[in-house]
Amino acid sequence: MNEPKKPPKRPPGTCIPWDEKVKELPPITGDKELVKRVWEEIDGMAYVYIWQILLSF
Amino acid sequence: MADISVQPTTPEAIESRYQQRLARYVTAMRRGKPDRVPIRPFVAEFTAKYCGYTSQEVSYDYQKAFDAARRCAADFDWDAVVGNMVYGWMGLVKAISLKYYAVPGMEIPYDSAFQYLEPPEEEAWMRPDEYDLLIDDPTGYLFNVWLPRIATDVVPIGQPNTMRNNLSFLKGGMAMLDYFKGFGVQAERLRKESGTVSALSGILKAPFDIIADKLRGYKGLCMDMYRQPQKVLAACEAMMPHLFHVALSGSDPDRNVPVGLWMHRGCVPFLSPPQFEKFYWPTLKQIILDLWKHGVQTLFYAEGDWTANLKYIAELPERSIVFHIDRTDPEQARRYLGEKFCLSGGVPNDLLAFGKPEDVRACCKKLIDLLGRDGGYIMDASAIMQDDTRAENLRAMTEATRQYGVY
Repeated sequence: MNEPKKPPKRPPGTCIPWDEKVKELPPITGDKELVKRVWEEIDGMAYVYIWQILLSF
Repeated sequence: MADISVQPTTPEAIESRYQQRLARYVTAMRRGKPDRVPIRPFVAEFTAKYCGYTSQEVSYDYQKAFDAARRCAADFDWDAVVGNMVYGWMGLVKAISLKYYAVPGMEIPYDSAFQYLEPPEEEAWMRPDEYDLLIDDPTGYLFNVWLPRIATDVVPIGQPNTMRNNLSFLKGGMAMLDYFKGFGVQAERLRKESGTVSALSGILKAPFDIIADKLRGYKGLCMDMYRQPQKVLAACEAMMPHLFHVALSGSDPDRNVPVGLWMHRGCVPFLSPPQFEKFYWPTLKQIILDLWKHGVQTLFYAEGDWTANLKYIAELPERSIVFHIDRTDPEQARRYLGEKFCLSGGVPNDLLAFGKPEDVRACCKKLIDLLGRDGGYIMDASAIMQDDTRAENLRAMTEATRQYGVY
């Protein structure tokens, strides 16, 4: 408890962080923020799934 | 009493009633004095019985559950209700093959409320030597280790994949989306059809409760508090930001209604007050403080007797919570919390099930005199009302509040 806190491997709201995913993608020549935002929104739904199973079901 | 006799029929009149009720409910929750004591009953399987449905029907077909909640809200003319208090949808449970429910009409009689099954200690969903995995990566642990244990169709990592495994995620994800979208529709229908407020938005459980309920089991966690207390504390810390995130993301964007906190095993006799102070309270308190920084109130659905814990709960910032009284001593709740927070509930469920309407009315008057004399009180039963609540007693609770609860 007294050790310095490590940043979480998967931050809240995240299953596969964008920084990890972007390495697998071809170079993004268009709007990178658009791709990132949509990735994170859909990834967040998977996060909701597992945490809601834990909390609500 | 006038509320019952004159039902608005035009959309404008219904919306006006909705706004009046929202103001009444929110004012009370902010420890203010509204025009009268709001009525916000947590009605679960009662709604099924009242509308002629079985427990199987409302737990399996959530449209029937929504329908029953709307009909009760309209008939009893309550200020606020939860869109579906028979919250666990058994259709989704079976679609993804969850093991820990006894489902009405299958494992238990069709007219019984669904039950949660805790496995024996040696078969706990999380093993005692897995704390480091959970602490290191809670979301990864849930997907990779926990879910394959609690769902028959989900294949553990490293095992050959199956069609049923794939279908579990596909069906589960789509069904959950469908169900949760249904709550938005339900809130709109409650508002437009009867002018009723949706009482809660979002869900929270204490980190300790989640570890007890769904991971280690209560007995296992009790042993862990002695055998590996630092791991328990670290696990609560690891769960905390995720539970905060889920609560905040489901909270009311208008900051009117609170997030529901469903409290299970933090009170006596499950935990002693020193255990509560060490294991249960620090991370839960931090979540409540963080939610309040975002303007989100939390409703403490304090199931059981939390009298011994009131001094801790009193540490929270003024108006940050609503404290719901189940078996907590109402006088002590008023003494410790009444100046800072709204209180709700306190009408014993056994009185609503077995008592007479005149006894219910007397109880409501007593509670209003004790807890609601200066505002900051919401009428409700002690715990969620299942099918043993008698309609005439619930009607007596409603009428008595209108009679005695006017400021």
